Amino acid sequence: MHFAIFLLILLAAACAAGSLVTQGQTYMWYAQRYSERTAALIIALHLDDAFHSWWFILITAFLCLNLLLCNVLRAPQLIRRSRRWGGPPVPDPAPSYDASAVCASEEEARGLLGRLGMRNIRESGSGEKILYACKNRAGLWGAWVCHLGILFLIAGYSLGQMNMQQYTVYGVPGETREIGDSGYMLHIDDFRTDYNEDGSVRQYTSDITVWPGSDPESAASATVSVNAPAGLFGMKYYQNSTGWAGSIHILKDGAPLMDAVICAGDMIRVPGKEDLVIILNVFYPDYQAVPGSAPVTLSNEVRNPAWLYSAYYQERLLGMNVLMGDEPLTIDEYTITFTDPRNYTLIQVKRDPFTLLALIGGVIAMAGLLLAFYVQPARAWASETGDGSWQVFGNCPKGGALFRKRFAAAAEKQTE
Amino acid sequence: MLRIENTLFTIVMLIYFAAMILYFLFIAVKRDRLAEIAVWLQAAGLILHTAALICRGIGAGRLPLTNQYEFATCFAWGLCLVSLLFVVRFRFPVLGAFAAPLIFLVIGYAAMQSREVHELMPSLRSNWLGFHVSTAIIAYGSFGVSFVLSVIFLLRDKMKAQGFMDRHIPDREMLDLISYRSVSLGLLFLTFTILTGAIWAERAWGSYWSWDPKETWSLVTWIIYAVYLHLRIRRSWEGRSAAVFAAIGFICVLFTYIGVNTFLPGIHSYV
Ligand code: HEM
Repeated sequence: MHFAIFLLILLAAACAAGSLVTQGQTYMWYAQRYSERTAALIIALHLDDAFHSWWFILITAFLCLNLLLCNVLRAPQLIRRSRRWGGPPVPDPAPSYDASAVCASEEEARGLLGRLGMRNIRESGSGEKILYACKNRAGLWGAWVCHLGILFLIAGYSLGQMNMQQYTVYGVPGETREIGDSGYMLHIDDFRTDYNEDGSVRQYTSDITVWPGSDPESAASATVSVNAPAGLFGMKYYQNSTGWAGSIHILKDGAPLMDAVICAGDMIRVPGKEDLVIILNVFYPDYQAVPGSAPVTLSNEVRNPAWLYSAYYQERLLGMNVLMGDEPLTIDEYTITFTDPRNYTLIQVKRDPFTLLALIGGVIAMAGLLLAFYVQPARAWASETGDGSWQVFGNCPKGGALFRKRFAAAAEKQTE
Repeated sequence: MLRIENTLFTIVMLIYFAAMILYFLFIAVKRDRLAEIAVWLQAAGLILHTAALICRGIGAGRLPLTNQYEFATCFAWGLCLVSLLFVVRFRFPVLGAFAAPLIFLVIGYAAMQSREVHELMPSLRSNWLGFHVSTAIIAYGSFGVSFVLSVIFLLRDKMKAQGFMDRHIPDREMLDLISYRSVSLGLLFLTFTILTGAIWAERAWGSYWSWDPKETWSLVTWIIYAVYLHLRIRRSWEGRSAAVFAAIGFICVLFTYIGVNTFLPGIHSYV
């Protein structure tokens, strides 16, 4: 138990440390934010990715091992204890008790047991007559069940981290995209944004169709929105985010060369001249230039559309500028225009069968806590004393003073 | 409706303040009757506070659990509810006297927040949010009470010197038991909060646990209270170290609630 407490405190400290340092940044980032020495320390201690670092995993592994051993060793003890509680009080060693009272008759003794909430009062047959009963024996298992749940939870989470497949797919309605290397295809049938009266976004919704690349016939469709993911082909689809996209048209010497969809942040290589790259950096639906600083958009409605692009040739920046509306960009014999601004949808696709294990673990841990805290095991027994009166004993390890009070109150009623 | 809520909120603040003064007077002038009135006043405040929350819920057309103001006023409500339950259940008005300033402080914090009602962003439109936040309120309320109990526990010997306090503060064993009750209620609800939060995060963001600072600190809090439970089982500590851990636990609660938003913004920064 000492070691368990030590591990728990260590884990809490590790979590705190991981949360105080911004995760997933580079040495340069930390050096700029703190100092070079601190940055070096952060990288050396893996504090930049604390929750996946070897020391974090080690602490968790020790904790799990400790919990597992504790539960394995305690199971037989608990079974024995549970049996003992269900049976008559053994004289050797005499069971410990928290409270006792004297009753005038067997009847009264039974009454007292009843008032203590003992339903099923039994008699031991052999030798002197003993009445005994117990309640809430399940409560003996509270801590054990809670620990088991925690083990399941950690197992589910860790297995999930190791085996999870996760992809992001984005595009505009009408497009078909591969779902990473999963072998599945995803078609975006539709994408809608619903607004509240005050103009703020109420909901994003995508209609999607998915099929295995090898078997388009078995395609299945679903609707996903924020807080309402869908499941298809053993994978789960989440409405993750959205952004602006448009159509890009490239003409060569006035003749159409390429028409494609381009999302903000995407790059396109000009066909036949792959060294020439066009990037759509940002789309401004309601453009407003700000002298001396980056432009802004005044609203999310397409009122004054503008496209911030950059063009590279052989990895050298040719230019970066804003094109208003359908304004063309000319680079040598190529003419490039962006049109038709619309929203793209970003769908996150995930396969993690171990989520269920983690959830089951969480529910078991909850049930364990409920048992440990609110199902208080108690037992009572009564034996005849020499003079015809009955001595009643009560035992409730977790009840403490409250149980003694309850017992005394129940015994009091007897004398009344 | 929101106007009514505003008025009710002001009245509730005044009532909590009056209850706090009465509790203080009860300790200062050692008159039990004052404690009785304070408890009744606190109960009246709680009823009006409930009415205020219902009005806000109706006015906003949703559960009033989604921004700093709403959570702060609910936190004060949870503290008031749980402390009142414990005061009445264990006939322990001194607990009420120590809890009253905390309740007043939290509702005072609520009063400083913006009360505007905004439309909810898509990720906050979830029934799981209702479960997540309402269980958090009870958890935080219970932990607030266990914090107050720890303070009483740690100051007990000093206060016991006076006969009046001796009569009104339970013995060590009973205090420990009451503290255990409040921590266990809190831990049960915190577990439920974390679980429902994870389910909600999975549906809203596609990942049930992302080590976001708020998630991480709720885990730290959870672990601290687990340490409390285990320290308590080892009978050698005489309650002091467990009481210290219950107090640290509540500091973690406050850090999770206010500190994380201020110092470590993440995905949760809207609440
Ligand atoms: C290394 C990890 C841990 C070990 C070795 C450990 C060990 C123990 C032991 C030996 C007990 C006493 C059992 C009894 O009296 O029946 C106990 C009780 C308990 N443990 Fe743990 N534990 C660990 C982690 C945790 C964690 C993370 C929690 C989460 C909340 C937890 C929750 C509980 C509860 C609720 C009890 C019952 C307390 C009570 O009834 O007052 N344990 N633990």
